[in-house]
Amino acid sequence: MDSESKNMAISRRLFLKGAALTPLTLALGGAAISAVYLRPAQARDFYLRPPGAIEEKRFLAACVKCGRCAQACPYQSIKMAGGEAVVGIGTPYIVPREMPCYLCPDIPCTKVCPSGALDKKLNDVEKIRMGTAIIVDRSACLSIRGLRCEVCYRQCPLIDKAITLETRHNVRTDTHTIMEPVIHRDKCVGCGICEKVCVRETPVIVVQKTPTLQKDHYEF
Amino acid sequence: MSSKWTIARRIVQILVIALIASPLVGLTIFQGNLAAGELLGLPLSDPLAFLQALIGGRVFVVSYLISTLIVVAFYFLLGGRSFCGWVCPVNLVTELADKLRKRWGTGNGTLPLASNRSTLALTLVVVAITGAPLFEILSPIGIINRAIVFYSLLPLLLIAAILLLELLVARRVWCRSLCPLGGFYSLLGHFSPLRLGFTPERCTHCSDCLAVCPVEEVLEPSLAQDAPQVAAGDCTRCMACLDVCPSKALTVKFGYK
Repeated sequence: MDSESKNMAISRRLFLKGAALTPLTLALGGAAISAVYLRPAQARDFYLRPPGAIEEKRFLAACVKCGRCAQACPYQSIKMAGGEAVVGIGTPYIVPREMPCYLCPDIPCTKVCPSGALDKKLNDVEKIRMGTAIIVDRSACLSIRGLRCEVCYRQCPLIDKAITLETRHNVRTDTHTIMEPVIHRDKCVGCGICEKVCVRETPVIVVQKTPTLQKDHYEF
Repeated sequence: MSSKWTIARRIVQILVIALIASPLVGLTIFQGNLAAGELLGLPLSDPLAFLQALIGGRVFVVSYLISTLIVVAFYFLLGGRSFCGWVCPVNLVTELADKLRKRWGTGNGTLPLASNRSTLALTLVVVAITGAPLFEILSPIGIINRAIVFYSLLPLLLIAAILLLELLVARRVWCRSLCPLGGFYSLLGHFSPLRLGFTPERCTHCSDCLAVCPVEEVLEPSLAQDAPQVAAGDCTRCMACLDVCPSKALTVKFGYK
């Protein structure tokens, strides 16, 4: 009897602990989530979303994490984020260096998205805006150094539109031409093929967030 | 005593997991998961995921609404929380925890069933204020789904946490009281025509049904009042009580009388 009532007391205490801890954990979890979520977009890692993704903050809520875009992708370019993405858990993203987006003409990933997180109405691959390629290390770019590389230019699905070659005199040798790949951000769709094919160990051309235009100084 | 309902329920639960896993072996009968999917060309969507996408993402797609309404109509006809008892993969984890808990005699606490309405409200308030789809981020259903299809295994730690919580603190606490989707389906199930019928004259008051019922708070008063049916949103229509009833006092009923 005595030991039984002792057991009772323990389980009651355990229960009360649970009853107090569970809402507390939920509240803390919610607070942590909103803290991460409400951070400015620049502070978060950039996730390259599949074609047609709506603006990132809305995308995080609009995506229902069903994985249909990833299942529809014939190249398995689209991966699903794990817990490391925090609020982005279960959302689709692309790592171009592993497998870029090959811009299927029918854009099947957007067609299967049920919720509108990826825009179904997107029909023209040239209108895709996932990000913008940027040469992040000019000194490591073989073409800019004066060699004949231009792999990113040749492989760009929008060759001569998104990437063009600008020629200039090579002053170092005085007899050659430097053929520099130049990215046109109004044409670049951010598919990441250039990042994938860059011959350097660490790609010197990478897809980054499409730079938004600077707001007018007097605009509030 | 038979266990035909429990066997049927296990078969359905395993079939659901098999359907979610089927694209892995190249089958195309089902795509997606329980948040949104397509079964033999029929689009189906989770109503709570729809609400969160609508409120937080401010997206509205007519076909998405229709696929959600199909699911709402389906579970309205079949008992609301029948989703919990028959389809949701978390139920398997919860029932495992419950079995172990009974064997070890631990975690005998309970939380009130109505808490799931509060977590449902909390989810919708959080998504309205912050735009973060609280339940879709934490959803153990989504975590299990993605572990199956995309081998995303690390988030399964949350499932382990739920298992421990149910083992050590309170019985079936996630499914009974915390899951907001359960809260949604219990509201729906409250109005569902598929219910348990009760014939008081046949009842021997053996209480076997109460011992197996995951939500005995809803079964007990109905039996005590000699009500002709167990009308409750929180009944998961698992039919475990039908399996154990020795006198066939409990039946499946379709209708409101």
